[in-house]
Amino acid sequence: MSALLNITPIVTQSLAELGVAADPRVIQLSLVFSALLFVIGLIGFMTRRNMIVMFLCTELMFQAAALAMVTYGRMHMDFSGQVFVIFILTVAAAEAALALGLVVLLYRRRETLNADAWSELGEC
Amino acid sequence: MPATLLYCACLASAAGLYLLMRGRNGSVRGVGTIIGLGGLAWLLSALLESFGPLAGDVGPLLLPLIFGTIAIASAVRVITHHRPVIAALFFVLVVVATAAMFLSLHAEFMAFALIIVYAGAILITYLFVLMLAQQSPNGDGDEKSSWYDRTPREPAIAILAGFIMLVGLIEAMDDSKNNAIPTPTVAQAQEAAWNDLDRLPRALLAAAQDVKPTTAEVLGPPLVDENGGATIAVRLEDDSETTVKLTADQSPSNTRRVGLSLVADFPVSLEMAGVILLMAMFGAVVLARKQFEYGEDETRAAMQEAADRSNES
Repeated sequence: MSALLNITPIVTQSLAELGVAADPRVIQLSLVFSALLFVIGLIGFMTRRNMIVMFLCTELMFQAAALAMVTYGRMHMDFSGQVFVIFILTVAAAEAALALGLVVLLYRRRETLNADAWSELGEC
Repeated sequence: MPATLLYCACLASAAGLYLLMRGRNGSVRGVGTIIGLGGLAWLLSALLESFGPLAGDVGPLLLPLIFGTIAIASAVRVITHHRPVIAALFFVLVVVATAAMFLSLHAEFMAFALIIVYAGAILITYLFVLMLAQQSPNGDGDEKSSWYDRTPREPAIAILAGFIMLVGLIEAMDDSKNNAIPTPTVAQAQEAAWNDLDRLPRALLAAAQDVKPTTAEVLGPPLVDENGGATIAVRLEDDSETTVKLTADQSPSNTRRVGLSLVADFPVSLEMAGVILLMAMFGAVVLARKQFEYGEDETRAAMQEAADRSNES
């Protein structure tokens, strides 16, 4: 992990203040935070039993991915990263609309939000 | 900084997370919180140490540190809180903290779009559905949440899988192992900014007119000079040709460059995003149509009744 810090410093302090180029330490911190956020979302998806909270955990993972995209975009001074975040927002909105509609349907059928109520779908 | 120490810090936070999930009473959860926060602090301090001596220039690091810690802490609450509504509200806090980190990465437009779209729209939908599907707590009266919100499923295995995932992610971020594309130099970054201005003809003309109000037409692309500014050839209203010097702060803003990248570099993806939203709308309409007058048991009972009737006749 210490080799993670090998991004060559590309800029002096004054230019970094101008916002022209990125501070490599901020890049490192943001990448580590995005990895942690993603892993927490993953753990939450595996441990929670409430279907809505499971979808909330996928949104956590979306957040982490968006943070990593913006960070890498900043690192390479390329704005495609932020454009991808716009697409992530689109997909997250579509997913929220569809998944929550599905959850309401499932809730009406079994009167519970427990995902284990549907475990026969997994054939085990 | 040996990598094993950092992995020990990750393990400590994982143990804290496990206690937080498993703990039935407040004191165990308190110990879990302390161990988890301690592990996180250990991890961060080891990371900061590896940046080399911090000679007074911690200013740019403060914002990501504070808001990253807030984001991680509230994300842990999202996955450990036993009341789904409160978990959703903690998710709003994650969104706000992430938006603040976007600000420190100079992604101003995305920061505010994130707050508006996520905290303003998506999370409201989640809260709506949570309240729609909120059931009366079954069993004991003073419990405010159902048993399945209080009992995590296989927390030890999940945390182990998460730890392996974390190691994988960090290895993937390691620039020295995969042939990373070199980061641009300052001069390249400035040149890219001026090239983007060249792709915005009206903004380029406006920038030239800011310096020389009688500019009628821009003749050539901006040529970068050594201190971040640029020179462009222009024709004035009286048909004489001259050059205009633009200063560095006249290069296009980040928001403008995001918009340019969106419509000029990814037009097909933009259309696809529109199609995705349209299809999601259709899907939501189809799902929301009232199609279940009967639950499964009622349907089965009705079929049984019909079978009995046909047997009788």
